[in-house]
Amino acid sequence: MPTRRPFTLDLVLWQPWLPTVDEVDATPEQQALVNEVAPSPTGRPYYALLAHEPLALRERTALMKAAMYSQGGATRADRELAAVAASRANGCVHCASVHARLYAQLTKDDATIRRLLDEGVDTPLGDHERAVVDYAVKLSLTPATVTAQDVAPLRRVGLSDLAILDLTHVIGMFNWANQLFLTLGEVAPEPGATGHA
Amino acid sequence: MSQTQEASVTPLFAADDVINQLATITADTKVGALRTHRSEVARYAEGSYYALFEPDDFGNVSRIDRDLIALRVAALTESHPLITWHQERLRHAGVAEAVLTAVKSNPHAAQLSLRQQALLSHVDRLTNAPATATAAHIAKLTAVGLTPRDIVVISQLTAFLSFQLRTLVGLRVLAEEE
Repeated sequence: MPTRRPFTLDLVLWQPWLPTVDEVDATPEQQALVNEVAPSPTGRPYYALLAHEPLALRERTALMKAAMYSQGGATRADRELAAVAASRANGCVHCASVHARLYAQLTKDDATIRRLLDEGVDTPLGDHERAVVDYAVKLSLTPATVTAQDVAPLRRVGLSDLAILDLTHVIGMFNWANQLFLTLGEVAPEPGATGHA
Repeated sequence: MSQTQEASVTPLFAADDVINQLATITADTKVGALRTHRSEVARYAEGSYYALFEPDDFGNVSRIDRDLIALRVAALTESHPLITWHQERLRHAGVAEAVLTAVKSNPHAAQLSLRQQALLSHVDRLTNAPATATAAHIAKLTAVGLTPRDIVVISQLTAFLSFQLRTLVGLRVLAEEE
């Protein structure tokens, strides 16, 4: 298990273990795609790495946007909570930090999500949050064992079929994202850390 | 369903898309109807499948390599629709049953080339324990001749399947409740 910095709400930088298209042989098409899909200069290396295969990156970016922002169904906050829970369970410090900040902005509450980052997915939560987190963790870690019993708590807190489908898509997308961030590079050490972060 | 065609090669959502075929969902069921409310997700999931399994340019990662990777992910995650799907594609391509059995049971079997063994070992790590990956694991892939593009492709393939198989689980559970 590699050493890595602890889960945090702070901005976390990610650095790839392979040269990105920016560093090697970017075509004009690859450059344009990265300019279009990278959210910020600090987020660029991930997209510039995936741009080695442009069409897959283009489709995946549109899919992530659709999973996170479609109208109706699951609330934006529940989608971000599911994203954080999957990322926390899978060990993705980078993804968890980005989406924990979004959850805190949407709910005006950073104490809950900070506790989930610090203490893990078993930290005490309200019934609604517990139902979302439990589904995200089980579908992430042991998908073959998920049954109708695992969505019953989501129904009890009022989620519709469409909301459950939305959370399913989000959890799937974050397993995808977590695998890429965890296996193609690493988060930069904590500022001021001495090599044990 | 959206009528606007964006600057993408992706087809609009169709009721016989790969996910509906895998989940044996028809448009007249509750879950079939539900998916039409998320036609953008369906459309780009389909686009992702075709970008990764049927690209115009396979580069150094052949169609057979891609289906072997998918079969391994499906076996590890006990995703029976995906096992059937990728076994059929591999049989159609003339791959021997002994190779299919090896991929499902042991990625270090003698029936597999060293390159295939390296690919499948990496797939196991992505699928079962992604947080244990280090730069040394990437170095093992470059040591068998894989380029950065090849490594991005096999990572995207494996990670796409982790989305697709979880979507299939969610759809199965919602259908069971009917």
